[in-house]
Amino acid sequence: MRGIIDMERLKTTVPGNGAPITEWKRFLIFMRTHPSFTIGLVIVLANLLLMIFGPILAPYDPFEANPAVVRQAPSAAHIFGTDLNGMDIFSRVIYAPRIDLTIALVGTAISLVIGILLGGYTGFWDNWFSTLIERVADLLQAFPPFVLAMALVAVTGQKIQNVIYVIAFLNIPIYLRLVRSNVISVRNCTYVEAAICVGGSKTRILFRHILPNVISSALTQASINIGWAILMTSGLSFIGAGVPVPTPEWGAMIAVGASTIIMGEWWSSMFPGLAIVIAALGFALVGDGLQVFFDPTKRS
Amino acid sequence: MIPQLLGITLVAFLLVRLLPGNPATAMAGSLATPETIAAIEARLGLDQPLSTQFFMYLKNVLQGDFGNSWYTSNPVASDLAVRFPATLELISLGMIIAIIVGVIGGSISALKPKGFIDRITSSFATIAGALPEFWIGLLLIYVFYVRLGIAAAPIGRLDIQLPTPPNVTGMILIDSFLTGDMAVFRSAVSHLILPVLTLSIVLLGPILKMSRTSMRDAIDSDYVHYARMCGMNKKCVVEYAFRTALPPIVTIIAVYYGFMLGGAVLVEKVFGWGGFGQYAVQSVINKDYFAVQGFLMLAAVFSLFIYLVVDIIYMIVDPRQRP
Repeated sequence: MRGIIDMERLKTTVPGNGAPITEWKRFLIFMRTHPSFTIGLVIVLANLLLMIFGPILAPYDPFEANPAVVRQAPSAAHIFGTDLNGMDIFSRVIYAPRIDLTIALVGTAISLVIGILLGGYTGFWDNWFSTLIERVADLLQAFPPFVLAMALVAVTGQKIQNVIYVIAFLNIPIYLRLVRSNVISVRNCTYVEAAICVGGSKTRILFRHILPNVISSALTQASINIGWAILMTSGLSFIGAGVPVPTPEWGAMIAVGASTIIMGEWWSSMFPGLAIVIAALGFALVGDGLQVFFDPTKRS
Repeated sequence: MIPQLLGITLVAFLLVRLLPGNPATAMAGSLATPETIAAIEARLGLDQPLSTQFFMYLKNVLQGDFGNSWYTSNPVASDLAVRFPATLELISLGMIIAIIVGVIGGSISALKPKGFIDRITSSFATIAGALPEFWIGLLLIYVFYVRLGIAAAPIGRLDIQLPTPPNVTGMILIDSFLTGDMAVFRSAVSHLILPVLTLSIVLLGPILKMSRTSMRDAIDSDYVHYARMCGMNKKCVVEYAFRTALPPIVTIIAVYYGFMLGGAVLVEKVFGWGGFGQYAVQSVINKDYFAVQGFLMLAAVFSLFIYLVVDIIYMIVDPRQRP
């Protein structure tokens, strides 16, 4: 039976319009009121499309070195110019999301899943194993991440999948800490006690009741971290410790351009760098936006 | 702190032992016979079991001996002692600039939310997080060295023909100032400008963001409202709020400062700095066991030291933290 005031309807309607607001509509309104989030979303989608269609859109073969067109300034034939190997920079820049974004997305996804599981475990169980995991995570964070990443890639060998694993490995402590602190803050809530009272097993309570409540902050952090992963990947490749050459990768392209920028040839490092900035910025804007979307107290 | 140091030593040791390749083979050269390689291995102690090697290393480290780098053929400790001040000088200057601009800019934008400065600082803070520092360095080189010709060539810390000042602190700026060698001092400044600028651009983002958030929270708090109600003048209220806003700002500065010692690798590479980070890169590439171990340990110990300093600063700014 409903009361005098229909609470269910009140919750989901705006005054003056009567139609209930679905989650999707709330999202659209949010996009309209937060333009920077929308810009970020467009950038992310464009990058994802390039990941799929980049090789088709590229006017030249991104792996082909043409000795006849070495170090040419941007022109109608090569709109971003060519590098010192005679490769078309535009083709390589739009092919590279396939490498950079794959590494960043897969690496972040792996660390997110492992980080959530370990964070849930260490937050909900207090035993020697969870203490051990925390101590190891603390130790890992005491080392400078870039050099640690470099050493780990050197240990495992310069391959794209190894760069992915290294980035995933270095990111795990971030999610572990985040999820752990969130789990600790909700594990004494009444609904968890209720679930214990009706006889739910610990694992079931963790997966059914606790993790769904703490996961949004981890997802938001992941979107922010994808930008970081892109910067890390390109940095590793810049010093020649990331993906092997001649794979079209933004950081490696900047390294090629770095040797000729002294002679005034700005284009071969300028454009790949811009691509990094735009992609990393896009994911950061989406992350910031999601944070506000999931946490209304942060809205201005 | 002692268990942490032990853990760091252990992780650095194990990680480096996993590096592919054998330094004995590399040292002996391509023409070496298996006997020479075995002899070198025996000299380095590489033929011993891992646990014995670790305790030997630990014993030596406690006596201040980090082993010898086979690549530079110097003791690792003295190699690091030369390179550490070079990087420290670079990151400290970058940090100081970022702190001054970041804390002032962040506080001003917190005082006038949605104002002109607030808009600039918050967009800059967002963009700065997406900037690859090596690319910024290259752009600065292009604009200020190649185009305008006002910065020094991005190779090393001094002009090649100038003598390195006598080693007092290892930081050329301070050493040349102490000895009164102004030509060297000027050259050092002109070499420092671009890399310092690069680092401060990258560091400015997080410091700006944190200063703004923290100051905003302090201004919105009850006791600041109360102070205002009581009719304290604006300057006093701002000072009052600033003091409570400080701890999180100090934390973020410390985190980034500790991180930068090993994190300035890319900037060092772009400017040919020859510092701590470049030494690490070179050592990883050359499979220089002791050098990589020494680097990882010094970098980790440096972060621990910074955290210790932070705890002390906390006690100074926040009376509740005092014992």
